[in-house]
Amino acid sequence: MTRTFDRRTILKTGLGVSAGLAVSGRVSRGLAQSPVKLTMAVWGGKAELDAYNQVITKYQAVHPNVSIRLDVLPSGQFYQQIDTKLAGRQAPDLFRATYQQVGRYAMSKAAVDLSQYIDPNYGAAFTPAVWSAVTYQGKPYALPHHTDTFALFYNADLLDKAGVAVPTSLDQAWTWDQFTKVARLLKEKSIGSYPFAMGWSANAVHRWMIFLYQHGGRLLSEDLKSPQGGSPALVETIAWTQSWFKDGLVPPSTSLKTAEPTQNLFANGTIPMMLNGNWQIPFVDQQAKFKWGVTYLPRDVAMADDMGGTCMAVSRDSKNPDIAADFLKFLVNEENMREYVSSAQFLPVRTSLVGSGLRFPLRSDEMKVFIEQTKTIPEHLVGTVIMPTWGKFASKLTDELDLAFTSGQSPEQTAKNIEAHVKGILLSA
Amino acid sequence: MMVTTSPERRRLETIGLWLLLAAGAVVMIFPIYWMFVTAIRPRDEIFSGSVNLMPTGWVWKNFADALHHMPFLTWAGNSLVIAVVAVVITVSLNLLCGYAFAKFRFAGRDILFIGIISALMIPIQVIIVPLFLVVSDLGLLNSYWGVILPRAAEAFGIFMVRQFMVSIPDELLEAARLDGASELTIFLKVVLPLSKPIIAVLIIFTFMWRWNDFVLPLVILTDQDMYTVQVGMNLLKGQYNTEWTDLMAVALLSLTPMLVIFVFFQRQLIQGIAGTGLK
Amino acid sequence: MADLSMISLRERDETITSRISGWWRSSRSRLTPYIFIAPNLLLFSVFVFFPLLYAAYISVHQWSLIDTPEFVGAQNYTRLLTDGQFWQSLKNTVVFSAATVPTSLILGLMLAIGLNRHMAARTLLRSIYFLPVVVSSVATAIIAAWLFNDNYGVINAVLKQVGVGRVAWLSTPQWALPSIILTTLWVRSGFCMVVYLAALQSISPSYYEAAVIDGASRPQQFRYVTWPLLRPTTFLLLILNVIYSFQVFDLIYVMTGGGPGFSTTMIVQYIYRAAFANSEMGYASAMGMVLFVLVLLFTVIQWRINRRTEQFV
Repeated sequence: MTRTFDRRTILKTGLGVSAGLAVSGRVSRGLAQSPVKLTMAVWGGKAELDAYNQVITKYQAVHPNVSIRLDVLPSGQFYQQIDTKLAGRQAPDLFRATYQQVGRYAMSKAAVDLSQYIDPNYGAAFTPAVWSAVTYQGKPYALPHHTDTFALFYNADLLDKAGVAVPTSLDQAWTWDQFTKVARLLKEKSIGSYPFAMGWSANAVHRWMIFLYQHGGRLLSEDLKSPQGGSPALVETIAWTQSWFKDGLVPPSTSLKTAEPTQNLFANGTIPMMLNGNWQIPFVDQQAKFKWGVTYLPRDVAMADDMGGTCMAVSRDSKNPDIAADFLKFLVNEENMREYVSSAQFLPVRTSLVGSGLRFPLRSDEMKVFIEQTKTIPEHLVGTVIMPTWGKFASKLTDELDLAFTSGQSPEQTAKNIEAHVKGILLSA
Repeated sequence: MMVTTSPERRRLETIGLWLLLAAGAVVMIFPIYWMFVTAIRPRDEIFSGSVNLMPTGWVWKNFADALHHMPFLTWAGNSLVIAVVAVVITVSLNLLCGYAFAKFRFAGRDILFIGIISALMIPIQVIIVPLFLVVSDLGLLNSYWGVILPRAAEAFGIFMVRQFMVSIPDELLEAARLDGASELTIFLKVVLPLSKPIIAVLIIFTFMWRWNDFVLPLVILTDQDMYTVQVGMNLLKGQYNTEWTDLMAVALLSLTPMLVIFVFFQRQLIQGIAGTGLK
Repeated sequence: MADLSMISLRERDETITSRISGWWRSSRSRLTPYIFIAPNLLLFSVFVFFPLLYAAYISVHQWSLIDTPEFVGAQNYTRLLTDGQFWQSLKNTVVFSAATVPTSLILGLMLAIGLNRHMAARTLLRSIYFLPVVVSSVATAIIAAWLFNDNYGVINAVLKQVGVGRVAWLSTPQWALPSIILTTLWVRSGFCMVVYLAALQSISPSYYEAAVIDGASRPQQFRYVTWPLLRPTTFLLLILNVIYSFQVFDLIYVMTGGGPGFSTTMIVQYIYRAAFANSEMGYASAMGMVLFVLVLLFTVIQWRINRRTEQFV
């Protein structure tokens, strides 16, 4: 029983004021050469914004009739802003989204189906994981722009002091046991205030899934259609990550809700090790006054890592979706993608670039660790976190895990609650 | 028995009290002081967690850098325009409305008063989406008016004006009426001159609230060139790696207009509140 | 016939005009208040009342903001009754109010009495105590998060220095709310001070002279002169502070994000989360309506009490 909101009618009849006279509706665009204004909403640090602006300048040089405005929104309120503007039919022409969020916009058709603007095999040029993330019911609703992933940053000076050697290749990555042993050793020797921290603050709960998959667990069945239930892996993973907090292996402020940036703690020597993403390299490089490096994530029965990164979508409110789509294709073409990811320290999502030995301005060796680590991203994990219902589910997952980490909710109870949310929310579409 | 305090004892008491108040004042001002110390610290000492309460460096350049990194002056200009226009509109409306509630008996007065006051007490987060839709339908998105008009009706102001004007003697108004003055003339020539103290209070508070507004400008203003200081500050805070020196420098600068206003108008503020009949 | 009807029409016109002007003359005073409140009422209707009605309309729908709303009847309201987290956040709000409102009133009153005396640097001291009031909530939250930071905040640095050791201020359920309460007191006590100060200055010295002649001690003077005369002020401050406590948002959003667990999730926080993090605009609006009814009840009750204390005409 679906009803549509006819807001303008309510406004007019409800108030008797001529408030509803706003210009709206899709105006036909006229000639391709007539001036066109586009807006693109993004969040980001200076390097990213510079890189966006560079592409915009290049595009405007080729298409003098198009002017593109970059709207920079605070990352904390980004989706709130986009959603509110979509509700008011005032969304920017283009908007940035993570792969975990884009499904939501695709499902409700808030983003434009791009298949009419691209060749049928356009997607073949991208890595399968990201292409599947922007695809909903066989149609692409955004174009992948870049990715990023997690690895283990370490303070070489402090680890030397503790006599710890780090793995030098992926197949030597520490097991959970080895990793915990290192952490306990650091704790015993009081090296740093806490041994390590995980960069999942400010609701990046999908990164907790890394550990679930490393431990052989999953939330959904193989075909992603029913809950996985019954395996002890969920409870055990919660218990393990909870033990970090219980045993004082991580600072209490690095749970999921408090927005403590772990990179600050790493840079000032509070923690000798930090699990975080490649985009932290410029900050650490600038702030750390010690020798540091990056090694592989720990592993358990399996290896696993997170698929981060963002894509760009054309909103349903765009009056010039064809031009917006044209710019979008320009933004993610091989040359521009190469320049963007190398200058902002991200990883590419075009297969032609992935294997081509990109050059990065900072720490190319460390970037190689991240690139290698992308091979361990489980397809099933990607399939789970890109579901359109993920965003809604993630907020509940954050609640439950935060209760376990900070307020002593038992792993069994936490797992039970999470499983209920899997049934009630994640699989509700 | 007469209770008298010897002047000596009273002086000692005052000194003790003064020391206590001064100590409290140190605690109160410490956060602001700490902002300042953070703002002029060398960038790489920010996270040192050091206990050094004195400035570890006097990097005035941080202020220049902060202004260079972001269009603070543009944001401050926007905030200023919004706050000043809002003060003019809001204070005028408050005075008119509060006067009516204080000095007239009319059908539905109490219902209207309760309705207005309680609806205005609703946190803006509760109605922000419908409000956005209205502002958007009126074509006021990304404009100063979109931020000014929705907050022009202000419960606190109506309430204060009403309290203040209740104490204006009715005889004064009646006398003017008998002289044949129109209602508007009475308001402008009799009521307003008596209301100077409360007008000062309203100006100060309205300016402060509009200057500090955050939630509404955040959704209404989309273009970065239209941002207010508060929204801009939040933008700085929201980035992956908050530039704390920049942030503290900007936060400190954002306080200055309010500080200047308070230091200069402190007396009027207190007198004005004293006049609201809250004896 | 035609002429006749013309005449009667003209006559009717004239009578209407005269009637209107007569009505205007007779009811000028009756209309005046409405004209005075009209501009306010117009803005209020468009920007507060209509959005509120609209929120009521949304509250009987399921809507994620970006999809098509679906009518669900009273479902959002029935769900509210069994949502433990909603009640928890309402309880948190009450606890927060109970902890901040009386305390900031008492602090404000003590400061006002102290700073009402003649002493050195009085204006400077008053200004310092009022200073936090002018700091925006965004800036307050930023500075508070910076001071209370577990790992590099100056409070812990000092505590460590004096041998107390670090306290996880914002990340343990038992300390997070107290940290926010302390920050709130920092802001609110100065405001209460200024209002109390104004009230104290309007108390005529003759009351005290009379009390002294009657042999009243200082505590007695306070008990029988100052306190009763300050009652309306206390009442106003009580109301303003309760409103403030029910609206607290930015501070918590920046300092703790509502965590750890739900220990600092207030009602507005929870509504905001429902609307934007959980994409449940309908449910969020239903909670908003409940909050509105609570505020309305509160206003009516205090209006009644106010009437009884004869503060209003």
